[in-house]
Amino acid sequence: MNREQSGPLLVHVDASLAEIVPSYLENRRKDLTLLADMLQKGDFEPMRVLGHRMKGSGGGYGFVHISDIGRRMEQAALQTNTTELLACIAELTAYLDQIEVVYTETALS
Amino acid sequence: MPSVDHILIVDDDPDICNLVSRFFEKNGFRVTSVADGKGLWAVLNREPVDLLVLDLILPDEDGLTLCRNLRASSNLPVIILSSRGEDLDRIIGLEMGADDYLPKPFHPRELLARVRSVLRRTRDPQPTEKINGTEENVVYHFAGWTLDIPTRQLYSPQKEKVFLSGSEFALLRIFLNFPNQVLSREQLLEYSYAKESEPFDRTIDMQVSRLRRRLREDSRTPELIKTVRGLGYVLSARVEKSEGSS
Repeated sequence: MNREQSGPLLVHVDASLAEIVPSYLENRRKDLTLLADMLQKGDFEPMRVLGHRMKGSGGGYGFVHISDIGRRMEQAALQTNTTELLACIAELTAYLDQIEVVYTETALS
Repeated sequence: MPSVDHILIVDDDPDICNLVSRFFEKNGFRVTSVADGKGLWAVLNREPVDLLVLDLILPDEDGLTLCRNLRASSNLPVIILSSRGEDLDRIIGLEMGADDYLPKPFHPRELLARVRSVLRRTRDPQPTEKINGTEENVVYHFAGWTLDIPTRQLYSPQKEKVFLSGSEFALLRIFLNFPNQVLSREQLLEYSYAKESEPFDRTIDMQVSRLRRRLREDSRTPELIKTVRGLGYVLSARVEKSEGSS
């Protein structure tokens, strides 16, 4: 993802989702811990499932980039591609650290 | 007090269930979410449901199998919501009797619009009624078949019940209103309201294909719903109407 490293990355999200977005992002942070553990054990199938779920849910919450990372993670787990999985985990970590959610009334991602 | 539509979502991802539940509840629906096929049947046996939102990949049973089994005994409107968004997956989903198909990731507003559209399409009087007057109490007879409008029930020439999905019922009703007239895909889309929810008119081809199977037609040489190349479809049968019992 190309972006400036200095400021936060603003993500516009539908205001009607304001109550559930924080817990969704918190779940993704928990996923990072799970993914690191799975990768260490070479446990690729649950990583594929996590990637699949991120792919399906991210865009719905307004985080299209999480869907993109999830899609790549699902593919990488299927191919047992450790290098790509590490890259996905690093990208998700950076994304979650950098985003700042802006709630808007008519946000359509 | 108006009744609140009850949506059942079947998805094993709690984040998806949470998203759909919260968004739809904020828009005036009641939502129940379950994670698998077992939960689906438990809810359906316990309480009325107005529409089902169904994921295809579930822990205990494939969503397509669930959809097909459901269609064997019910015309409950079904929208498939799945990460399997390839054309073939959509086609199979619609062939299995789903009323609509939305690939993940999805915007909840789009799902809401599709739910409303499917509910409207499967409940509201069709435009053909407005043309021909109210037909709430009509029974159609054609080629040995019977379509009872009040009960929305189709009977075969052998008097067996044949279940129709909401969109199949709507499509058959249009053909019965215009027997022996060629109807273009555009006309069928307009009359069936499908235009609102399906962006491509190949959907009509799929729906006609499904309806032919319900009518036990040989897809290579259909006798009842014939394809008129370059123009559309025609129901080739003498249609008679009688008054329903209700």
